[in-house]
Amino acid sequence: MLARVAADFYWMGRYLERVEHTARLLRYQLGGLVDTPADELALGWRVVYRALDQAVPDAPADADEAEVFLIADAYTLAGSLVEDDTNPDSMISCWQRARENARQLRPQLPLRVWTCLNQGYLWLRDCEFPTAWRVAPAQLVSEAIDRLRLLEGVVHVTMPRDDAWRFLELGRFVERFQHQNTLLRNWDRIGCAPGREPRLSWADLLRVCGAYELYCRRHTMTVRRAEVLDFMIRDPEAPRSLRFAVHRIENLLLGIDPLGNRHPLAPPHRMALRLAALVEADVGGPEPARDGATKGERPEEALFDLLARDGGTLHDLVMSAYVDYPVAEGLPT
Amino acid sequence: MSATADTTTAGAGNGRTATGTAGSGAFAGYRVDPGIFDEMFRDDGTPRGACRSLGEALARIPAEELVRVQDSVHRRFIHEGITFTVLGKKEVSEHIIPIDCVPRILTAAEWEQIEEGIKQRLRAVNLFLRDIYHEGRSLRDGVVPPDLVLGCPQYRVEMRGVRVPHDVYVAVGGTDVVRTGEGFAVLEDNMRVPSGVSYMLACRAATKRALPNLYREHRVREVSAYPERLYSTLVSLSSRAGTPRVAVLSPGRYNSAYYEHAFLAGEMGVDLVEGRDLVVHNANVYARMASGLRRVDVIYRRIDDDFTDPVTFRRDSMLGAPGLFHAYRAGNVVMANAPGTGVADDKAVYAFIPDIIRYFLGEEPILANVDTHLCRSPDGLAFTLDNLQDLVVKEVGGSGGYGMLVGPQSTAAEREAYASRLRADPANFISQPVLPLSRAACFVDGSLQPRHVDARPFTLQGSGEQHVVPGGLCRVALQEGNLVVNSSQGGGCKDLWVLRS
Repeated sequence: MLARVAADFYWMGRYLERVEHTARLLRYQLGGLVDTPADELALGWRVVYRALDQAVPDAPADADEAEVFLIADAYTLAGSLVEDDTNPDSMISCWQRARENARQLRPQLPLRVWTCLNQGYLWLRDCEFPTAWRVAPAQLVSEAIDRLRLLEGVVHVTMPRDDAWRFLELGRFVERFQHQNTLLRNWDRIGCAPGREPRLSWADLLRVCGAYELYCRRHTMTVRRAEVLDFMIRDPEAPRSLRFAVHRIENLLLGIDPLGNRHPLAPPHRMALRLAALVEADVGGPEPARDGATKGERPEEALFDLLARDGGTLHDLVMSAYVDYPVAEGLPT
Repeated sequence: MSATADTTTAGAGNGRTATGTAGSGAFAGYRVDPGIFDEMFRDDGTPRGACRSLGEALARIPAEELVRVQDSVHRRFIHEGITFTVLGKKEVSEHIIPIDCVPRILTAAEWEQIEEGIKQRLRAVNLFLRDIYHEGRSLRDGVVPPDLVLGCPQYRVEMRGVRVPHDVYVAVGGTDVVRTGEGFAVLEDNMRVPSGVSYMLACRAATKRALPNLYREHRVREVSAYPERLYSTLVSLSSRAGTPRVAVLSPGRYNSAYYEHAFLAGEMGVDLVEGRDLVVHNANVYARMASGLRRVDVIYRRIDDDFTDPVTFRRDSMLGAPGLFHAYRAGNVVMANAPGTGVADDKAVYAFIPDIIRYFLGEEPILANVDTHLCRSPDGLAFTLDNLQDLVVKEVGGSGGYGMLVGPQSTAAEREAYASRLRADPANFISQPVLPLSRAACFVDGSLQPRHVDARPFTLQGSGEQHVVPGGLCRVALQEGNLVVNSSQGGGCKDLWVLRS
C-alpha cells in the first residue's frame, strides 16, 4: 500500500471518529437543554469545549470562562461545532475532510463505503440547520451518529482485513484514545471538581460513552467516581475505554508490521506497548505511583497527562514509520 | 422507486401512441431536418431499421417515467461521486456530466467501418511518431512539413533516439468521430491523454439499469472489459519478467478527470500514484509504500508531458517525479502514452493524417478527415479571414472546446477580435467548415428532441494486436442548435450501443 494512501486511510479514520465524538457530546448537551439548570448546562458546554480542544467562544473581556458559557446561546455554540465550515474541527469540516481522503482512496475503497460516506456528507451539508435547531436539535446529531454507525457497518462487512482496513481502524482508535483521555480528564477536572457546585453526573459520562449498561452489569447502578474512572480506563470490553482502544491499536500495528519482519520492534508498536502498560497498571490509592504527580493530587490526573503526551507521540511515530520515513531507509535491500 | 422504465406497457399512463415516428405521438415535437443526418429517423420521419424497437419503446414510456429515470441516474452519479472537478478562483467545485438516458445506436456494419478506420489511423500514427523521433523519412520526403513537426510545442527533442517498447508510442487513443450526410469522419485525434472512458462505462451501467429489457433485446456489444484490456495492454509493454507492477500517475484530486484516474486504478487493481509518491533511484522508479519503496515497471500517465519530470521538462512542475524521464530513457520503466505523442494531437498535423496513412501503410484512409485550412499558409489564412462567419476556427494545440470561434454563432465584434489574433500568429490556427453533426434523440426538458452528437471510441495498442472498445463516449450538445459537445462547454453524454451482427 502506498504510504500516502495509508496516511489517507489513517486520517479518514481519525476524522470520522472525531465527528462521532463531537456528535456524542452534543447529543448529551442538546438533549439536556429542556430540563437542565442553566449553570449546569454552562458547565456542560465548558467541558464539551475543553474535551474537544475548541477555542472558547467570543465573550466580553471581563468574563471568565465559566461565565462565557453561561451567557452564550446554545444554538450558536452547537452551530459552531456542527455546521461552521470555518471551524476546522466542526462536524461538517471533519466529515468533508474524511470525504476528501476517501475521494483519493476510491481505487481501494469499496463503492458502498464511498457512497455511504458521501451520502452522509451531502445530508449534513444540505441540512436546514435553522429548522433543525428549532424543532429537534438533539435529533440532528443523533441522525449523524446513526449515519456514522451505518458507515461503520458497511466498512465492517465490505472491507477486507488488509492494511487499508488496518490503517483506517488505527486512525479511528488513535483518535478515540486521545479524545477519551481528554474527555475523562476534563470531566473529572472541570465537570466534577472537588468542592465545587454544580457538578456533572458520572452516570452521564457513561451515557456519553455508551457504557452505562455495561457499567451497571459490572458495578451495579451505584455510580461512583473511582469505579467509573477505573472502568473507563481499564475495562477490556467497553469499546470506549482507554484499554480497549490501546489493545486495538496494538493488534492493528501487529498486523501492519508483523513482529517477525522487524527487529527490534517498530517504534509505534513499542509506544503502543508502553500505553498498554500505563492503562493496565492500577494506580489507585492515596499515593501517586507515577512521575509528575505531587502528593495530594488525584493519581488519575498524572496518568491522563502522561497518556496525552504519549498518545501524541504515538501519532508522530506512526507517521514517521509508515508515511514520512527517509527514502534511504525504504530502499529494498 | 424503480429506475427501470422499459417495462411500462404500451400507451399506459398518458394515452401516448406507440408509433415511434418523428412528428407524432411521443415524438410530436421532434423535427427531422433533411440537411442534418438523424441517427434515429429517416428524412421522412420513419425510424431507421435498427432504431425501430427503441423508438417504439420510447413512445410507450410515459414522459414522467422518463423524468424519473433521468433523475435517478442523475442522483446515482452524485452519490457515487462520478464527477469532474472545476477549479474556480476561490473554491474547487464538483460537477456531474449531464447524462441522457436515451442510447444512440450503431449497427454492426457502421461500427465495422469506424473500427477499421480507427485501427488504421492508430497504426499509421505510431509509425509516424517513431519516424519523427528517429529517421525522419516522412519529413525528408515532404509528407508533413518538417517545420510543422519540429516547431510543434508538443514535439519533445528529448525523445529523439529513445527506444520505445514495441514502438508503441500511443497505447491508449481516443478518436472523435462525427457523422454528416456524407458519412463518418474523424474530427480530432486524442493521442496524449484521452479521457472519458469512465463516463462511457458509467453511462452504460446507468442505461442498462434504466432500460434492461431494451438492452437485452438489442444484443448490444459489451464495453465492460475495458479495464481488463487496458491492464493487459499496459503489462504487455513491459519486458520485466514475472508480473510487472503497474501504476496510474495522476496530477491529483484537483484534476478535472480525477474520478476517472481513481476509477481506472481501482478497476485494474493497481496503485493510483501522484508524483510525490514516486522516487527515482539509480534510474529505477520506486513507489513509496507504507512498507518501504517498491519498484514500478509501467506507468499509465494521466498527466501532460510538461509536468511528468521537473528535471527534464517544466522545472516549476510540482506534479511529476524528478528523474522519471531518465528512468524512462534507461528503459527501466514504461510510460503509456510515451512522451511526445502530442504531435499527433496537433490540429495542424491532423490535416496530414490521410497522407501519413498513405505514406506509411500504402492504404487509402478508411475514415475521412474534415476539410482543414492551415492558417500558417498565406492561402489558408486569406481564406479563413474572408470566410470567418462560415467557419470554425481552432487553436492547433487547443482542447476542450476552449479558444475556438464558431463563425455562424459569433458576433461581428468577436470575429474582429479573433481576426486580430489570427493575423498576429497565423500558425497557431486552423479552420474547418461548420459541420452539420448528426443528431440523436435525447430526452430534454420533458420531451424527446434531436440534439447534435459525436462519438469517442477508445483504442488500445499493446505489444500485439489492437483493440477498439465496441462503443465509446457519445457526447451531446444539450442546448438546441449548439454544435459544441465538450463537457466543459455544457455538453452531456449518452450511451452508445453497438449492435452485434
